[in-house]
Amino acid sequence: MISFQSVIKAYNSGDKIITAIGGVSFAIEPGEFVSLVGKSGSGKTTLIKLLVGEEKPTEGSVFFQDLEVSTARSEVLQKIRRKIGVVYQDYKLLLNKTVKENLSYIMEVIGAPQENIDADIPQVLSIVGLDQRMNNFPHELSGGEKQRLAIARALIHRPQVIVADEPTGNLDLYNTYEIISLLQKINNLGTTVMLSTHNKEIVDALKKRVITLESGKIISDEKVGKFIL
Amino acid sequence: MNSFFKNIFRFGWANFYRNKLLSFQVIFVMVVVVLTVTSLFLFKGLASYLIGEIEKRVDVVVSFKREASEEDILKVKEKLYSFSQDIENIDYISKDRALELFKEKHVNDPVYQQALNELQDNPLLASLNVKANNLKSYADITGFLEKNEDFASLINKISYNDTTHKQAIEKLILITNGVKQAGITIGVILSLLVILITFNTVKLSILSFKDEITTMKLVGASSRFVRGPFVIQIFICGIFSVAIADLIIFCGSFYLNNKISTWLSQFNILNYFQGNLLFLVAIQISIVIILGFISTWLASRKYLKI
Repeated sequence: MISFQSVIKAYNSGDKIITAIGGVSFAIEPGEFVSLVGKSGSGKTTLIKLLVGEEKPTEGSVFFQDLEVSTARSEVLQKIRRKIGVVYQDYKLLLNKTVKENLSYIMEVIGAPQENIDADIPQVLSIVGLDQRMNNFPHELSGGEKQRLAIARALIHRPQVIVADEPTGNLDLYNTYEIISLLQKINNLGTTVMLSTHNKEIVDALKKRVITLESGKIISDEKVGKFIL
Repeated sequence: MNSFFKNIFRFGWANFYRNKLLSFQVIFVMVVVVLTVTSLFLFKGLASYLIGEIEKRVDVVVSFKREASEEDILKVKEKLYSFSQDIENIDYISKDRALELFKEKHVNDPVYQQALNELQDNPLLASLNVKANNLKSYADITGFLEKNEDFASLINKISYNDTTHKQAIEKLILITNGVKQAGITIGVILSLLVILITFNTVKLSILSFKDEITTMKLVGASSRFVRGPFVIQIFICGIFSVAIADLIIFCGSFYLNNKISTWLSQFNILNYFQGNLLFLVAIQISIVIILGFISTWLASRKYLKI
């Protein structure tokens, strides 16, 4: 479903070339739950950016369902992005839209009928505990609430893959547990989940596949992995 | 497709009223743009009127020798009409009519009255007063009369050949040409300024949505779906700015009309504005739509490349 083939991503920084990803290859099959583990700056976020076509690899290829993301035309990239729900570390919420509109926008993008939009939004907001904040704007939400909204947005259109970049960073223990349980439930229903985290407890408790990154390279890829850093 | 446009209009309207300060800034700049374009139009109307008024006061008088008969002179008149389409009017002034006019003109001047009484014959000559639509035509008309052998022997004098008359017409041609060229130059400069100002304002407003545009693209929105609401937002600002600018111009014309009516009795700026209102609104809306669309398209292009 997802395949990284000898991917290198380097940035020019003045006279220096900084290598964020240094020759990474791995594949994720449909229905898998994969934790991407690594310290800050290890390349986790860059891998996510490469997957959604926000960045292009310097070398190598990234595939999503046999479509090469790195060379995809705009229309193809749109289709790929509509199949992936991403929880961004910096939330990337639509600041001029209410909580409800942030969710309905995604459904309108995929062309969902109004009845589905009206039915699904309260349901998903209830799951993430934001049903009372439907008409608030993102700037009126706390950090945890923004994160939950970002999660709700990634789920709302029932994507084939959910990619979550540090989705519990601003959540307390209880909400962290709730969100991880939710991701597990979604995964049990057949959705592929790619979770980027440096939370040892979560990774160890999941008992799922763990890909460990260090300085842009994979140092371990275990079927039932543990947090080794 | 229907819901696509419905959503674009809904988001555009939401962008407009949720970002009041930004919308106000765009409207303010667009009001200036519309005022500039409309003022230019009103200035053109006023300049055309003034040039027309000056041109109306200019004519060329062709006076005929004493022996030229009325029939000969009327033939010359006919030939002149067929020579140039620029001729607006030719008045035949017979000797008797010329004397009447002279007497009317100097009715309160005893010296002239006495001199006329002492004369046995009418000393004045018959003439044709030629009025042309175009100042430049007078030189051609004079040339035509001088070169034609049938007329040359009948003509006593053509006023265009007087140095002062000729110089006055040439000076007027220079002035009217200068006014027209200045109008075009000012128009081009102001149009460029208007384009630049609009583009920069739209660019700044799009810049404030930069992160949102990126997010919209990352969740799979098409460029049209992202760009559409911004076009609608600018369009709504444009409609408001046209309404505000026209209200300002209406009030301004009403005020100015009272002021300038004393020295421009024939030109009613308010009537001119009202008479051209439909045309003006069509032009103004076209300008804000076209400029708004192109500016939004160009300004958002960079952020849509993700």
